[in-house]
Amino acid sequence: MATAEAFVPTTPLRSGRTRTARVPRGRLDVLTAGLLGLITVVALAAPLLAPHGPLDTVGTPTSLPGTEGFLLGSDSVGRDILSRVLYGLRSSWLAALAVVAIGVLVGGLIGLIAGARGGWVDNVLMRVTDAFLALPAPVVAIAVVAALGPGLFHTLLALSIVWWPFYARILRGEVRALAARPHVEAARLAGAGPVRIAVKHLLPGAVPAAVVTASLDLGTLVLTLAGLSFLGLGQSAPAPELGADAARNLSYLLQDWWIPVMPGIAVALLSLAANVAGDGIRNLMSNR
Amino acid sequence: MPMLIAKRLAAVVVILLALTAVLFTLQQSSTADPVKTMLGPGASRQLVLDTRKKLGLDDPLTAQYVRYVEHLVHGDLGTSYRTRRAVSTDLGTFLPATVELTLFALVLALLLAVGFAVATTLRWPGANAFRLLLLVGASAPAFLLAIGGIIIFYKQLGWLPATGRTDILDAPTGPTGLLTVDAVLHARPDVLGNALQHLLLPGLAIAIGPAVSIGRVLRSSLVTTLRTDYTRTARAKGLREVQVMRKHVLRNSIGPALSMTGLQVGLMFAGVLVVELIFAWPGLGQYTAQSIPVDDFPAIAGVMLLLGVAYVLINTVVDLLQAAADPRIEA
Repeated sequence: MATAEAFVPTTPLRSGRTRTARVPRGRLDVLTAGLLGLITVVALAAPLLAPHGPLDTVGTPTSLPGTEGFLLGSDSVGRDILSRVLYGLRSSWLAALAVVAIGVLVGGLIGLIAGARGGWVDNVLMRVTDAFLALPAPVVAIAVVAALGPGLFHTLLALSIVWWPFYARILRGEVRALAARPHVEAARLAGAGPVRIAVKHLLPGAVPAAVVTASLDLGTLVLTLAGLSFLGLGQSAPAPELGADAARNLSYLLQDWWIPVMPGIAVALLSLAANVAGDGIRNLMSNR
Repeated sequence: MPMLIAKRLAAVVVILLALTAVLFTLQQSSTADPVKTMLGPGASRQLVLDTRKKLGLDDPLTAQYVRYVEHLVHGDLGTSYRTRRAVSTDLGTFLPATVELTLFALVLALLLAVGFAVATTLRWPGANAFRLLLLVGASAPAFLLAIGGIIIFYKQLGWLPATGRTDILDAPTGPTGLLTVDAVLHARPDVLGNALQHLLLPGLAIAIGPAVSIGRVLRSSLVTTLRTDYTRTARAKGLREVQVMRKHVLRNSIGPALSMTGLQVGLMFAGVLVVELIFAWPGLGQYTAQSIPVDDFPAIAGVMLLLGVAYVLINTVVDLLQAAADPRIEA
């Protein structure tokens, strides 16, 4: 689901100008791609960065952002919003990475087998993949979590179930294209077995496409996770979660706007950073 | 074309069977025991066993699945654990509000997408800044756009209402349930205007994300089409830019954008469910959100089945539209 591709043109405009005049393109892409590492470090270090525990009531309720040492203000029971947002960001990001990783592994394996083996195996695997692709992913995910019961693990499971088919399709296409190339033909003539061909000669060529798709997907996944959490399908009450924190504090919207808004802004920044980084990675890969 | 339609419809049947199989499997693995939920915790063991037998829950799974599909075909979606009414009745109550909001958002998304695509393709001073703004807009979750919209346009400026479908008390309630359509049918311009005002904020919150995604795809095919020889010819023979765009460029660029629209509808449904909660919109989102905390699986499954069917049908229409826009697709 490559909906996260940026509006920034990757080809020169008609006037012949490229998108940035000053910064050399490759270096900018390395910088933006590096955002992924930065977010991951922030997510992992959230417990060190957060000034307070996410569940601790540490100050006057509904303090404005910037007052009493609360950078993002405090919520209705006096918890530090910054700390809750950092912990929420941590679980959102790690969850998104996990779903993408599972999707790439499962979908990639299925795509590799289908593409490398061909014939009826390819047919059966791709029909199953198409059936999944024909259903609306967020809707199926909601149904899965609703059946299993709300919770972070069930949300992860549900999203993984609906996310792998995209990768299976893309990987299969790449592998089919590679299988017709001379180096694969040569390996086959040299007597390499099907497994060796798949792992040594097909997989390496298909990895870049998977990496690009996966990185472009992270922003969409962050948004989808936040949506499910907003609907009450994530972790239960006191746990810090970006979507749920906004949903539970909707009633404060008109008086103490920052309580529901801050988690929302965190989701937007996370998804924006992921989208920009995904673009950088795509540009780096396509420039090679 | 008739051949294509027949093929597509056959595919729809297969996909819908797959959807029912998924929902049936989920129902089987659902943690809530329907009999215990129906009878309450104090029911005797014998009563539980008898009820299980009466409901056919001891039959083989295949038999249960066939019966489940039979019931669905007859419009029987089971009984909600929470409201104790037939799920189909509940859905009938909440559906019109959601249909109206979703269609409104879809139209908005398409209009915005064309606007975004054209604005980012043309050369003008703010084009780069505009692109950046769109990237930010597409990264914001629908609930943040909704909340932000309420704070700015309701609280600060007081331009738009924040909750419900209308604040006119004697607004017509029939025959379609779509307030804007009913207002037209009853010749009530005041209700129409009021309903549109109420639709605008939630509609925008849902539409902006998909509009950027669709606009982006449209833009890249616009750029490709603008480089073609026939576009150069159209320009060379002295057509004005607007005419070139409308007659030669847009029509030939619409295909990929249409497929993207079909895909985005799935994400829009999730947006609708979320945004309805924020605007107290009396639709399926409210119904779903009330059903989730009490594990009312038949109700949730009913909503998801409805959305799944809508998604599959919309995508089928998209396929056919694509074939209509580009006759080469007929195969």
